[in-house]
Amino acid sequence: MNKETVKIKTLIDNKRMSTQELLQLITSKINDGYTDFDIEACGQHNIGGSSWAKENGEELNFKITNPGQRVGAMALKGTKIYVEGSAPADVGWLNSGAQITVNGDCGDTASHCAAGGKIYVSGRVGTRSGALMKHDPKFEPPEFWVLKNTGSFSFEFMGGGIAVICGFDCGGIDSVLGNRSCVGMVGGTIYVRGTFSGVASCVEIKSLNEEDINFLRNGLLEFLIAINKSGLYDSLTDFSQWKKIEPLPAGTKEKKISVSEFRQTKWIEGGIFGDFIQDDFKVYPLPATGDGRVRIPEWNKTDCVNCGICLNNCPENAIMETDKIYSTDNNKCIGCGICEAVCPKLCWALKSNRKEIS
Amino acid sequence: MEAVKINQLHLDDLPWIVEYDENKCIQCGRCTAACSFGAIKPVVEKRRKPSTGLQKPAFDRLLVIKQNVSFEHHCRGCGMCTRVCPNGAIKAVRNPNDKYSVRYRAAKADSVKKGGRSNLNTEGRTLDKIKIGRISQMTDPSLDAARHQFELRTPFGRVLSADKLSLHNVNGKMELSSQLPPNRWIYPIIMGDMSIGAVSWRMWEAMAIATAYLNEVMGMPVRMCTGEGGIPVRLLKSRYVKYMILQIASGHFGWNRIIQSMPEMTEDPAGILIKIGQGAKPGDGGLLMASKVAKYVQEIRGVPRADLLSPPTHQGLYSIEESVQKMFLSMNAAFNFRVPVAIKTAASVTSVSVYNNLLRDPYNIVGGFFLDGLAAGTGAAHEISLNHTGHPITSKLRDCYLAAVHQGRQGEIPLFAGGGLGQTGSFAADAFKLICLGANGVFTGRMLLEIAGCIGNETGKCNACNTGLCPAGIATQDLCLTKRLDIDVAAQNIVNYFIANDIELKKLMGPVGNSTLPIGRSDALITVDKHISNRLDIQYIC
Repeated sequence: MNKETVKIKTLIDNKRMSTQELLQLITSKINDGYTDFDIEACGQHNIGGSSWAKENGEELNFKITNPGQRVGAMALKGTKIYVEGSAPADVGWLNSGAQITVNGDCGDTASHCAAGGKIYVSGRVGTRSGALMKHDPKFEPPEFWVLKNTGSFSFEFMGGGIAVICGFDCGGIDSVLGNRSCVGMVGGTIYVRGTFSGVASCVEIKSLNEEDINFLRNGLLEFLIAINKSGLYDSLTDFSQWKKIEPLPAGTKEKKISVSEFRQTKWIEGGIFGDFIQDDFKVYPLPATGDGRVRIPEWNKTDCVNCGICLNNCPENAIMETDKIYSTDNNKCIGCGICEAVCPKLCWALKSNRKEIS
Repeated sequence: MEAVKINQLHLDDLPWIVEYDENKCIQCGRCTAACSFGAIKPVVEKRRKPSTGLQKPAFDRLLVIKQNVSFEHHCRGCGMCTRVCPNGAIKAVRNPNDKYSVRYRAAKADSVKKGGRSNLNTEGRTLDKIKIGRISQMTDPSLDAARHQFELRTPFGRVLSADKLSLHNVNGKMELSSQLPPNRWIYPIIMGDMSIGAVSWRMWEAMAIATAYLNEVMGMPVRMCTGEGGIPVRLLKSRYVKYMILQIASGHFGWNRIIQSMPEMTEDPAGILIKIGQGAKPGDGGLLMASKVAKYVQEIRGVPRADLLSPPTHQGLYSIEESVQKMFLSMNAAFNFRVPVAIKTAASVTSVSVYNNLLRDPYNIVGGFFLDGLAAGTGAAHEISLNHTGHPITSKLRDCYLAAVHQGRQGEIPLFAGGGLGQTGSFAADAFKLICLGANGVFTGRMLLEIAGCIGNETGKCNACNTGLCPAGIATQDLCLTKRLDIDVAAQNIVNYFIANDIELKKLMGPVGNSTLPIGRSDALITVDKHISNRLDIQYIC
């Protein structure tokens, strides 16, 4: 183990060290036992990422200025990164356990796909930040702390982890989560302070419970110390200003009124044909009885020999006989015509029941 | 036993043969009760029992279901009997030896009429031979169909090119010195165009309810065209009229009531559609058979019960120029130039000339050109028109669009295409492809009927809309049949279908990478058919 801090300048005599040269230099120093780095970067990518100390249990420390994209990308537990000033896109991309502090703003897609560790930002983060964060239950959930606000489309497809957007210094900003936040979010929790709007319909906005408040009390303390802003603690711990966003349970659909309800409560009373037609909007089944029959049997006594064949053959038992007079029960008869067919004397005749409504 | 004469209509001449299995039948009478055409009836049949000895043979009597053989009561193959039979004992089977049309003409000295759609299937649809092949792959991001915010609205109304805008500088501010032509941003699928009378009051109201619901609950600005049979006054005077496109066709039915209601209307209609012709029977006027001219239809239309034949042409119009001068001006004037006015014609080899003429409209009053292809449906038509006249929609829509493109005037008069969309199962794909070929939007009627419960198809099943005996309660005015249709289910199904289509349209816009309607994006389309590729000017692939 070597306790000496490795200082790296990446721009010497106007010659810039490439990303490959810098990262391979860092790796070789780590293999030599160094753990602490102070890097004056010049836009190199992936600084602090996918590295681990030579000795088990040792911590890697990076202090970086002027990094390129993907600071702390694919970084592991045991890595601590501190960026003095702002960092461009993809801070903590696929972070798997590092603590990354940016003392400034972050570009787009900060904390993108992070599944572990903590990301602390003392300023604002760009569009699509927090997108696709996830939580593997075998590890601690990722945390993403932002002092100010996010750009639009934040937390798209978020699947797990915790994000905290403190909404500090956001006067004049309509939504501290930008527009169209949380689209496709299926898991995780976002704590947010200040005004926000335009979040997707797949999430619900809740008030904090005691557990949430405890988490924030402790977490904010740690976060504000990390970004050297402890003085803000009191102003950020008025929890009436905070809300929690979580996805709706899987399968929840927005409840809309049915078309039937719409017709009965909003539509023109009595229907648009109501001044011509008194329609009760009931539906005839198939086959129907009563007025729903296409044809209706009529009985004519002239030749009736009272044989009772019609009575016995009617599938609906709809034929009635009183004093040798035959009739049909309109609530039972479906107008099938079997009475007409079986009568040896042609006493039954089917008549059309086609008529207009009035 | 009755003797048979050779010229008599026989079972074997009919288009459908009812297959019946007496061993499965329980004689419950449901099939005959449900058949709106009276095409089947119970009868007692005599059956001979074989003689086992010296005695004479005896006869059994058996109650069976038999098919009617008559021009008035023949089976249309609707299949209601099969639906209600508890045992699967009965079904209608297509008769390959069908001679019905010949027999009908010979017996009645009249043309054959039918409803539904054309039943001469040619060799497949053009739209089915086109795929969406220009997919965003690293060139530009594909859009997430489920989550991206898409803008599907399309303009309905005259669009002026920038140089035609009457803008001028007033104290450093741009101001218009004259009124812009009316324009509405609407959903690109227009529904309806089916008249009161052609469809039952429940079906028509179900479409109107679905339209209102889609607008007010779903936030989808879907518009419905009334068809040529007028519009109920209650709807005219309601706020929902703003979702309705009023149609005026050659019969001018229902306009008396529209005019009478004008002083009491609180909202403008969405638009006016001048119907010159329709795709299912181009060059022929509307036809509403007397059996469907119910009392309320008589009142709204101002006619007695009779076969209502609209003239094939608007009688005051003799040329395209005159149509623009007279008809467009009058219909624009009707609502004081606040409401866009469009025109619908059947697709024809002449469509491009018409469109070119309209594009020269000097008054900026032509608000849209609707083209109806030959696969469209109809409530009633002469079979000869239905089967033998018309022009497919795809190439004609494309021709019109390209004609405008060559003048740098595409989009100035929005194009809407219809006729047989969704015939092979995917309405959204058909709509999307037509939009890529240059349509601003599409319109549909037939699809709505199917969604509501129509059981007809393109191969002759049912297609009896003209008889007024619609077994589904859709194309009828009879109480007993109309009440088979559940107005709420029909409206809900239409709503659901629009929502499903909306998802599917976005599912196609996403891969192409368009946030807005890809009007004219023919680069997105490919075909393995060289002729289609040449004709439509889209990429040939293999």
